[in-house]
Amino acid sequence: MRTGADPDAIVVVEGLGKTFGSHVVLHDISFRVRRGEAVVLVGSSGSGKSTCLRCLNRLEEPTVGSITLSGEAVTGPKVDLNALRRRIGMVFQGIHLYPHRTALGNVTLALRKVLGLSSAEADARARSHLERVGLAEKADFYPAELSGGQQQRVGIARAMALEPQVMLFDEPTSALDPELVGEVLGVMTRTKQAGMTMVVVTHEIQFAREVADRVIFLDKGTILASGTPQEILERPENPRIREFLSRTRN
Amino acid sequence: MDQILRYFFDFGLLAPYWPEILRGFGLTVSMSILTVLIGIPLGLLIAVARLYRIRIVNLLIILYIDFFRAIPQIVLIILVYFALPYFNVVIDPFWATVGALELVLSAFAEEIFWAGINAVPKGQWEAARSTGLTFGQTLRSVILPQVVRITIPPLTNRAIGISKGTALGSVIAVPELLNVTSSIQSNVANPTALTVGAVLFVLLFLPFVLFTRWLERLHATPR
Repeated sequence: MRTGADPDAIVVVEGLGKTFGSHVVLHDISFRVRRGEAVVLVGSSGSGKSTCLRCLNRLEEPTVGSITLSGEAVTGPKVDLNALRRRIGMVFQGIHLYPHRTALGNVTLALRKVLGLSSAEADARARSHLERVGLAEKADFYPAELSGGQQQRVGIARAMALEPQVMLFDEPTSALDPELVGEVLGVMTRTKQAGMTMVVVTHEIQFAREVADRVIFLDKGTILASGTPQEILERPENPRIREFLSRTRN
Repeated sequence: MDQILRYFFDFGLLAPYWPEILRGFGLTVSMSILTVLIGIPLGLLIAVARLYRIRIVNLLIILYIDFFRAIPQIVLIILVYFALPYFNVVIDPFWATVGALELVLSAFAEEIFWAGINAVPKGQWEAARSTGLTFGQTLRSVILPQVVRITIPPLTNRAIGISKGTALGSVIAVPELLNVTSSIQSNVANPTALTVGAVLFVLLFLPFVLFTRWLERLHATPR
């Protein structure tokens, strides 16, 4: 699946590899994500899917390979990482809201410091994004006063407010109580429906079935299979994937 | 009882000495404030420099903090005052004392700040950097506000402990509170002046001690 010229491709990953010392975490990963597409990375823990995602905004440094965002290099020594990252939103398993700032303050920080918006502009934009995740009335609450699901929705608003070209979700619901997972997946589904390009690492197979345009199955750092949710999740040919699905059946 | 009153509370004897005592107290206060005002920011600066993880710089930082945490304050004060003139640096006793104490405080403060910085989860850095904030912006707006919260109680404690070392300036003849009151004590052959000195020291430091107690209570109750 080598990638040629594709005007719709927003993220193009070619030959991505990552090693920690002698331990190979990712090997020869290539895929692309087109505008408005949701690509879901699945695989058992330790398969390298989170590392792969974190290479896309260089929170993790790839060892080999190249990544481009809208045709511009992501990898390489001359990349302005801060300029790059404002175009790539990220949502974390650990949520990582700033505990000393309110929900609104979490969203406005980068709007003011990175985009250079005035306080009034940043507030207005942040409030509209909090409203989109259903938390308009929680704007002045501190993270400790919010439930895990609400915190993660603030996390999504914080990333979305920068109006990125692509959103990365790194197991956004794995740390949440089961009854709080639905509200976060709901926001993610609406985000996708609004046309956002997304790369999602998740164990929520049902979400992948319903929302993904394409599913990539990673195993031991390589792409074992990639295709539509039906191909990968409904009638997989690969016995390794069948085994994985039977263990994570939900 | 009479003896106690006569030896420790004979304030009449002190009448001619009050201006001198108050000047000494003033010196103690200003040395303490200078020590804290220079030592704590210097400690923070060193902790931030250490974050850049430049091997040789960090090695020097560790040598610096270990040395100044290990050396007794009185030894350092004497060393600064009597050794520097051999290198043609003449320093008055006031600044020798402040300089020595501020170096010691900066070393302890650095360790407290460093521990505080490391106590902030790595995810805070990642979340901030993922939105395009620079290293410096992340440090200022995300990390340090959290560090300050957790470090204020230990920092205040340490600042009190080291500021009290201003009394050690008496060994190099800084006319601070202890020096003044103990020489009055030998002039009038009565230790009442020392009582006054002790009371003034407590008056100076007690508010800070109470402040840390209050802070610790504040932090002990969950928000």
